[in-house]
Amino acid sequence: MTTETLSPRTPGKPRSTMPREVVRRRRYSGRVWHPSLGTGPLPRVLTLLALALMTVVWLVPFGWGVDTSFKTEVDASASGADWIPKAGFTLDAYRTIFGQGNLPVWAVNSVVIAVCVTAITVAISAMAAYAFSRTLFRGRRVLFAVTVASIMVPPQILIVPLFRQMLALNLVDTYAAVILPQVVAPAMVFILKKFFDGIPRELEEAARIDGAGSFRVFWSVVLPLSRPILAAVAIFVFINTWNNFLWPFISTSDPQLMTLPVGLSTVKDSTGLRNAQESAASILGSVPLLIVFMLFQRQIVKSVATTGLGGQ
Amino acid sequence: MSGLSRRGLLRGAVYGAGAAVSASALSGCGSIAGSVRSADEIEYWTLFTGPDGELMKTMTRNVEKRVPGLKVRTTVLDWGPPYYTKLAMASAGGRSPDVAIMHLTRLAGYAPGGLLDPWDLDLLAEFGLKQEDLNKTLVKRSLYQGEPYAVPLDTHPFVVFFDRDVMDKAGLLTGDGQLVPFESPKHALELMDKLRRSGGTLGPVFGHANDAAMGWRMFWTLFSQTGATFDLTGKRAEIDEDTAVEVVRFMADLTRDSRTMDVQTAIAAFANGRSPMIFSGEWDMATYKATLKDKLGGSPIPTFYDRPAGASDSHALVLPHQDNPDPERRRRAHRFVAELVRSGLTWATAGHIPAYTPAVSSPQYARLRPQSEYAGAAKQLVLDPPVWFAGSGSDFQTRMCQALDPALGGSSSARSAVRTMVSQINTLLAQPNPA
Amino acid sequence: MASVSTPARRAAAGSSRRAGFRRAAATDRTRSGGAGWLFATPFLVFFTLFLIVPIGIGLWMSFTNASLTGHGDGTLVGLDNYAEAFGDSQVWQTLGNTVWFTVLTTVPLVLVALVMALLVYTGMPGQWLWRLAFFASHLLPVAVVYQIWSMLFQPDRGMLNGLLKIFGIDGIAWLTDEKYAMWSIALVTLWWTVGFNFLLYLAALQAIPDHLYEAAALDGAGAWRRLWSVTLPQLRRTTGLIAVLQVMASLKVFDQIYLLTKGGPNGATRPILEYIYDTGFTNYRLGYASAVSYVFFGLIIILSIAQLKIFSRRED
Repeated sequence: MTTETLSPRTPGKPRSTMPREVVRRRRYSGRVWHPSLGTGPLPRVLTLLALALMTVVWLVPFGWGVDTSFKTEVDASASGADWIPKAGFTLDAYRTIFGQGNLPVWAVNSVVIAVCVTAITVAISAMAAYAFSRTLFRGRRVLFAVTVASIMVPPQILIVPLFRQMLALNLVDTYAAVILPQVVAPAMVFILKKFFDGIPRELEEAARIDGAGSFRVFWSVVLPLSRPILAAVAIFVFINTWNNFLWPFISTSDPQLMTLPVGLSTVKDSTGLRNAQESAASILGSVPLLIVFMLFQRQIVKSVATTGLGGQ
Repeated sequence: MSGLSRRGLLRGAVYGAGAAVSASALSGCGSIAGSVRSADEIEYWTLFTGPDGELMKTMTRNVEKRVPGLKVRTTVLDWGPPYYTKLAMASAGGRSPDVAIMHLTRLAGYAPGGLLDPWDLDLLAEFGLKQEDLNKTLVKRSLYQGEPYAVPLDTHPFVVFFDRDVMDKAGLLTGDGQLVPFESPKHALELMDKLRRSGGTLGPVFGHANDAAMGWRMFWTLFSQTGATFDLTGKRAEIDEDTAVEVVRFMADLTRDSRTMDVQTAIAAFANGRSPMIFSGEWDMATYKATLKDKLGGSPIPTFYDRPAGASDSHALVLPHQDNPDPERRRRAHRFVAELVRSGLTWATAGHIPAYTPAVSSPQYARLRPQSEYAGAAKQLVLDPPVWFAGSGSDFQTRMCQALDPALGGSSSARSAVRTMVSQINTLLAQPNPA
Repeated sequence: MASVSTPARRAAAGSSRRAGFRRAAATDRTRSGGAGWLFATPFLVFFTLFLIVPIGIGLWMSFTNASLTGHGDGTLVGLDNYAEAFGDSQVWQTLGNTVWFTVLTTVPLVLVALVMALLVYTGMPGQWLWRLAFFASHLLPVAVVYQIWSMLFQPDRGMLNGLLKIFGIDGIAWLTDEKYAMWSIALVTLWWTVGFNFLLYLAALQAIPDHLYEAAALDGAGAWRRLWSVTLPQLRRTTGLIAVLQVMASLKVFDQIYLLTKGGPNGATRPILEYIYDTGFTNYRLGYASAVSYVFFGLIIILSIAQLKIFSRRED
């Protein structure tokens, strides 16, 4: 059911005549019946082989990074494709990384910034979307048209004026400078409005008859009904903010304020050969999001699917 | 316990942690306009990585030990344009670090633009650093409109390192361990062939690929040795292109074993004995010393053409502009820098020639080898052309290196490289000076 | 294609029902005009401050000599910046690089994603693993992508050349040879970002109604036949959207190139966004950088409109 209401991008998309659960059960049951796959054993084996091959190709680079992080620096900069280092595996790189103060600082910054951006974006976008969808304030058509048109403006072309603006506001090298420009997400307003448009109005009418004001209706009727789409938007915004590079890179020069992607690639440690250490730092820097993905795979996949096409 | 409930448990833990983190992060949102900076630490930006970085760390720690209450937070940024871009952006933003390292050749692009604040010489003298104890030439270059905007720490030339044993066997060393003089580029190439035959697997190496400075350093060194025209004072560059082409060809021939090597790879090739000779910054001396020990020899860049010359620059300490500097922090910054510069002898162990003259004239310095062997490089130094866009870590050097790289790597001709260089220089000359 | 008409009709009915709601709502919601403003204001404030205002500031700056240092006083210079931009070979070269990168990446990023999604959609056991493998790299911060691939690409000691050596092939200067650098960057980009398109395709595949396949199977269509005449036609709309999004994303490339090659060798990979960054922040010329931004913006708008045109024609 949720996937049905979660698809604002395809309001008129043909749906399966079968309940989704039935389809799923059949897909995962022993007798695989699949729309585009033959039933014989050969196609299945070939498919499995192709999948395995691509998986290996896609995992090897990351695996190499993990492998390197457990090597000594000498082995890490040795030539060739040796997965098993001569001097054996070691935790040295991780120990050194933990000894230096920067990584935790960046991780905290990343969390603070991503959480703030996500919270503010979801809040203001949902409110605006509700206004566009359900109220008739003067100028809403024009404003909504401007909002939708602005999806075409890539924020990347605004780095120069935005930096100039932050200079004028005396905000360069503050959290505010990193966060504020990132909370403007017209695409998310668009997605949320489309979703709100699809919510039956009877429910709101009932609440209104009970004497609820606009805010009350929004808070206790619309928002609870929109939980899946709000989660989807939040996840999408969070991932994008967590990995955003260009704007945080430009708006922060103080290493104490950098996010993980910026700090890892800008600030250098002072040792000579450092492949193992930098790999270890990289692994640590990417683990949080990977764990979150493994635990919430279904939700994240759904989020990307519903917001991705309308997103940045 | 079933897998499902373990998963549920984990999920619960993550939800809990997530909620806690979010709550604290959101409360952080409330104070987003503030900057997180501790009051009693001074911020110090450097571009020193490798052994230099280690040594600077040690020196900073020593200063902290000597001066009670002084705390320094060091940040190392990626050397080159990224460093200078960040420094300029931080200074323009007015929340810059308290002290930073800068190349003296870059001063012209920073001081006139109001990105730096001048030093207080009396305060420095109070902490034991007198102007007359610093290298005169460097002090002269640190002035802008009569005000001192930089305190020089060292000079750091581009030099040659070699493996004494292999070079001796190939007959490239004189009796007293000096490099034999090269009569001409052709002669040099012949000797290098000899070296390849008698030595290891590779001839001289030079790491330059995707580097934003090395190619230019080598070119500028060799071109300066020819004494040919390289005039950037007019609207268009006047450059002796034929000589430049010859120089690029010679560079490519001389270092043909390291066509695609980047700096790290070349360093590794020399340090692990695959090559007996490297054209390198003296700043990597400690890396070589660690593996070659007493076999390590050094020399200023040999004179291949008409006159001695070697590209060089100087690390200096500057006060990036701050909107409302705290006098107490400024005082500490002066104290820190005075102490740092006076530790010149320690700094010399990494390879640099200290700007603090009492250090250079000390007997301990004479005993430092190979440092004292290439100290003569300070006498033949050439700095970047005196234009606003040049200098270490500038876009100019990046453009020159990117033009040179394909020719050194063998994928394009020397002439096309020189043509690209000249057209890039003309593009830069045509731009208005923004500083 | 008779089978498609039923859901289409159903969809049409659905949308007209919604329209009915809207009309009904309109009549008794006039009183909440004030509340509407209240709801819209926070977003509109941010929207104005950090999108509309910068667009204005940027446009203004593009006509001045504004500089990052104290000396850039922002005097009006008329159209000088634009005149310089159109005559600046670097602008054209970096624009060319950007377009070349977009061409190199869009096709594989759509095709590989499609193949991945089709393979995973077969319902092979191990769904969780496949999705993790193909999508996880998308979650890596660019700094990690840079660290991993700069190790793999090392000409002398890297793993890729190490692997080539096993097969007796000479090492390639992946990032330092002008011939290969952009291809290498495209390869990294494919590895890094294909997962996103993969998920979009996977979702689109799951939305294809099963009865279409059932009908096709009853008509005796084999696996390949079903792929060609049911699956792929049903994915046309999604493919169009993914391609449009991909072109826009590729045009805005900066991160991985800036970190891996700094735009080198010899500017062969420098994208226009890096030129804007270099001009504005490394060379302090904020005014000129703004003008270059607007030239680039112009290109993006033209492309967007062109894509919209092509796309809407295909829809008809």
